[in-house]
Amino acid sequence: MTPLQLVFLLTAALTLVAAFRVVTTRNLVHAALWLVVTLFGVAVLFVLLNAPFLAVVQVVVYIGAIAVLFIFAIMLTRREMRDQGAQLNKGWWAAALVSLLTFGGLFWLTRSWDGFTRTAAPLPTGQDTLSALGKALVSPDAFVLPFEIASVLLLAALVGAVYVAYREK
Amino acid sequence: MTQADLYTLLPLIVLVIWACALLLVDLLIPRGRKGITAFLAALGLALTLGLTLAQVSAAGTAFQGMVVLDGFARFVNALLALTGLLGVGLAYGYVRRMGIERGEYYTLLLFSVAGMMLMAQAADLIVVFLALELLSIPLYILAAFARPKETSEEAGLKYFLLGAFATGFVVYGIALTFGATGTTSLSGIIAAASNGDAGLLLTIGAALILVGFGFKVAVVPFHMWTPDVYQGAPSAVTAFMAAGAKIAGFAALLRVFGLAFSSLSADLTAILWTLSALTMIVGNILAIAQTNIKRLLAYSSIAHAGYILMAFVPFGNAEVLPVSVAAGVFYLVAYTLTNFGAWAVVIALEKAEGRGLDLDDYAGLGRKYPALAAAMTVFMLSLTGVPPTLGLVGKFYLFRAVIAGGFYGLAVIGVLTSLISAYYYLRVVVIMYMREGEPERVSEPWLNLTWAASALAVVLISLVPAPLFAWASQAVFALF
Repeated sequence: MTPLQLVFLLTAALTLVAAFRVVTTRNLVHAALWLVVTLFGVAVLFVLLNAPFLAVVQVVVYIGAIAVLFIFAIMLTRREMRDQGAQLNKGWWAAALVSLLTFGGLFWLTRSWDGFTRTAAPLPTGQDTLSALGKALVSPDAFVLPFEIASVLLLAALVGAVYVAYREK
Repeated sequence: MTQADLYTLLPLIVLVIWACALLLVDLLIPRGRKGITAFLAALGLALTLGLTLAQVSAAGTAFQGMVVLDGFARFVNALLALTGLLGVGLAYGYVRRMGIERGEYYTLLLFSVAGMMLMAQAADLIVVFLALELLSIPLYILAAFARPKETSEEAGLKYFLLGAFATGFVVYGIALTFGATGTTSLSGIIAAASNGDAGLLLTIGAALILVGFGFKVAVVPFHMWTPDVYQGAPSAVTAFMAAGAKIAGFAALLRVFGLAFSSLSADLTAILWTLSALTMIVGNILAIAQTNIKRLLAYSSIAHAGYILMAFVPFGNAEVLPVSVAAGVFYLVAYTLTNFGAWAVVIALEKAEGRGLDLDDYAGLGRKYPALAAAMTVFMLSLTGVPPTLGLVGKFYLFRAVIAGGFYGLAVIGVLTSLISAYYYLRVVVIMYMREGEPERVSEPWLNLTWAASALAVVLISLVPAPLFAWASQAVFALF
């Protein structure tokens, strides 16, 4: 076992345990913190896959923005930090069955796929993927139009959110 | 990016910049004088309309084939700019009367029109998706604009949740289409589909996109949100939403299905046939039981989505398709004019706190306000499809196209459901003229102009429909 494999196994195990704790813990703030651990584990997996940019995005967007937003939302809206209801409802076994079947199906499908046993193609070196991505987003020859439309869309959503949330004195 | 790229999107770019500027200018306009904002918004839309009509010579794709400018886009964009203008005209007095006069109303309306226009020009599924969101998100907020009134908040939330759900379908459909063909551009999809290497995945993707658009244009069985949202939203918003979202939705459906998925007609014709028939039947039958005019018009708009969808049923038949699509586009014009007129009458009689919206409140209108009642009669006849109105001409073209495509059963269903619809539309007329009552109407110049001009247009164009139909056909033929 190489050190890389060891790191991978540890990270994967930690990620899975944390993900499991997100849905099982009764304390909402703890659940949000476990979510941060899960997302961080995924970021480490991205690093192991030689995708540093995705790893940074994972940390900045998912942990930095979304998970922190969760924590704020919980603290601002809930007086009770503890979930009072039952963790499972009556349909849990059906959900478990469907999940198990889906997992089994996917497992069976991927067994016949040679992607796992094939040696990966070597990563192209000397390419600056990050700046290529950045240029593609704002280049007139690529995606500048969707990029700008998305900006307008976010502006409209922002104006709307302020209008809906604003309480007049 | 060349000048040609920018020129292709010029009306849209101007509109978006105008909307952003309006957001800032609105800060300087004192409260209580927001009529100035409305006027500026109308000016921007008029400018957009003028630029759209001036784009005659230009045609072709831009931004690496992501958007396209052709006769069809120009026709639909002109119609959408007109829709926006009518929407501002209806809102002008209404928002003041209902105490919801805010500058954001007009900015959001302009953003929504921009999304709709982009939808008509989109030639890439990424742009289709973004345009869909750009038109929807302002509409969610406009539906909830009368907050903290509960019905309006409910309308906004309901529309938002179901709209987000529908968007999920569209995105998933786009993802599968991309998986099947390796491209999101419509011309690329056509090429991949004609190679025959797409198969089942493409069909599922197209079906999911159809479900998403079905939500947006309120086709049965994806219509559940319509009555509640149309009733709860401020009436001026409903009028704009009913026309604009339908025009844009059908324009995108046409481009995506008529062009990109034309190879799938064998699988999808039966589905479209069923959706169209179901929508006409369910919409018209449920409308019979309504006593609230807003709900009645909501079910009526569902039924009309069914009629317009008829135009898409023969989409595998290359000979009939242009004619039937021209008929569909013509019907959209007829529906837009009639719809705005009818909603203008509703707004003229609506009072604060949601009163004045029951059918009984229309009793005595014929005696007290003959002109208003006459206009409402014209709109009801047009929605039914009785001469001399635009609704009849529109339906005639539609049924003719469907029969030419060999779908006799659908044409029969269309005629029968129109007969059913006569019952509830004419009931409004009967109540207006035959019953005693003391209705109170609001008289505002822009509102009066809207219903009077719509009524005149609905009658006059129906007497000489050929030029408009020729324009619509020309627009559509440029597409194929």
